[in-house]
Amino acid sequence: MGAINSIVYETVVYLGPVLLCVLGGLFAYKANVLNIALEGMMLMGAFMSVLTAYKTENLLLSYLAAVAAAMALGLVFSFFGVKMKGNVIVIGLAINMLVPAVAGFIMKVMNLPTITLSWFSTKSIQLNIPVIGDIPIIGPILSGHPPITYLSYLMILIAAVVLYKTRFGVYVRVTGENEDAAVSLGLKTNLYKTAAILIGAFCCGLAGANISMERLSLFTNNMTASRGFIAIAAIYCGRGKPIPCTLYTILFAVINALAEYFSLQVSASLLLKAVPYFAMVAVLSIASAVNRRNAADRGAFAD
Amino acid sequence: MNKTKHSSHIGVKTFNSVMPVLLAFVIGAVIIAVIGENPLETYRIMITKSLFDIKGLTRTLQVAAPLFLTAIATSLCFKANIFNMGIEGQLVFGGFMAGIVGHYVTGLGSVPHKLLCFGVSILCAVVFALIPTLLRAYLRVDEMVVTLVLNYAMARILEYLSSGIFKDRGAGYVATPPVQDSAKFFLMGTTKVSPFIFIAILVFILAAFIMIRTKLGYTITAMGKNPSFAEATGLQTRRTVVVLMMLSAVIAGIAGAGYMLSEKTFYTLDFSGSPGLGWDGMLIALLGRHSPAGIVAACLFYSALKTGVEKIGLYTSVPNEIVSIIQGLIVLFLAVQFMDERYGFMEKFRQKLAAGKEA
Repeated sequence: MGAINSIVYETVVYLGPVLLCVLGGLFAYKANVLNIALEGMMLMGAFMSVLTAYKTENLLLSYLAAVAAAMALGLVFSFFGVKMKGNVIVIGLAINMLVPAVAGFIMKVMNLPTITLSWFSTKSIQLNIPVIGDIPIIGPILSGHPPITYLSYLMILIAAVVLYKTRFGVYVRVTGENEDAAVSLGLKTNLYKTAAILIGAFCCGLAGANISMERLSLFTNNMTASRGFIAIAAIYCGRGKPIPCTLYTILFAVINALAEYFSLQVSASLLLKAVPYFAMVAVLSIASAVNRRNAADRGAFAD
Repeated sequence: MNKTKHSSHIGVKTFNSVMPVLLAFVIGAVIIAVIGENPLETYRIMITKSLFDIKGLTRTLQVAAPLFLTAIATSLCFKANIFNMGIEGQLVFGGFMAGIVGHYVTGLGSVPHKLLCFGVSILCAVVFALIPTLLRAYLRVDEMVVTLVLNYAMARILEYLSSGIFKDRGAGYVATPPVQDSAKFFLMGTTKVSPFIFIAILVFILAAFIMIRTKLGYTITAMGKNPSFAEATGLQTRRTVVVLMMLSAVIAGIAGAGYMLSEKTFYTLDFSGSPGLGWDGMLIALLGRHSPAGIVAACLFYSALKTGVEKIGLYTSVPNEIVSIIQGLIVLFLAVQFMDERYGFMEKFRQKLAAGKEA
């Protein structure tokens, strides 16, 4: 029982920020902008939240700084990718390269190998749900998480509603599916693309704050550890639909939690850490193969 | 007439490659100034120590050797619209295995031992590259995500191997034992460059030849310009995807083995450096706009930058990360075209350029 408990708990912890990235990132996917800068935006959120908390000792400011910094990157991405019509993959790569460099640079100047928050305890922001928290086994799993973890679950609903039940969501999807048609109807497609990118950046900023400040109250460089790419894989597998994307994210989180758990039990622990990546490739392949059945075209490039 | 048009085209292309570099350096200078150091002095040290003395210049060539290869390997794929980001993983895997073979196989002559190391490295890189290649060609799985993810997986596997079975017990940190002298490339004379540079140049020329002068090269260009059209005209895009991914894996394997035998001689967790030779190669490929001549220029420039940064720590207190920042900015600015390469709305500028050429 203890084993299952810790695996489920680890899943929940890991799931929060990745889910947030997935649900934020799928807006850009739906608007036909491939945003591979999720990783960089998340790291920026992680860095800025802890840096601000370190300097100001103000929690609210830290959240704001995380979101503002990530959205600033989102604006950079939109400016180069949407306004200047640059290659979005290259821009995404650039942002992913820049963020750890900037974080590393600032930390070297401050002469800190890691930024640790001494004034702040992660316990202080854990929210306990009154009744559920008291249930013996499920209680500790569902209750006692920081605010953003709960927000990420709420986001499943928000993303689904915004994407499918609002005018904004329809416009974003039309922009992605047929930009020429959208333009001919007088839609400002660049505006919807930018908005979609900024929603993703907003979520990534929060996800970053969750990973660094809320969970560990410290920042080390590259601590997001490719979660952004896992999010991209989930978006691809679920083809940008909120519910399937969520299910794929949960699958990746479970695989990760299993690997984490068993790596503590056996001696070949480092080798087990490679398993989630291979599992992701396998899931991605199966999803592609299944999706492909419905497509009637041929060849390596048709899509 | 045709000729002047061609040369002005190159002028615009050069402009589009030089502008991002200049902009990145200007922003880099502002950052250096903000932390209270002298940007011009920092840049002067970087340039003089990497280009204007014989030790620095040969060191630049040594740094450039594997980068020529990773850049052309990236270009072969990117130019055909295949976003293969797996060069990094293939390179470290190949390099690691070359290091293992270089240490544990003994009693071979100098040439056979090196050949064996290169062979094993190439084989490993190719086998590893088969995963994304086959998935891409036959299941149409997005190659970018798969190659990115597999890089992480490979890093974990090598971390496991180098801290377990193949750990050098004598070393105080995670490292494999150094390769035997028979496998090593030694520095030539009093210079800082090893004979591996000649192998790198040879392979680069071969790859460049394939890119410009062969049917495969033509297919690459066609696929890069319009994949559906290339397919419709009967070009075998699927086969080309496989061939290109394999070819770039072979080159990555050569780069990995060469880097191991000429520079590192044993595997450490930061073997490929930060951001890694594969990523450096990608930047160079983008900077050189996927043309062999452009790549040579970009590679020399970039290697000088890398050599120079090894020195700025000695003379200033500017953190080394400044180069990563400049690199990232260059890539960012490279993503957009500052001047249109096809239609040339700056016709005047072109005419001036052409007039200047004739005068």
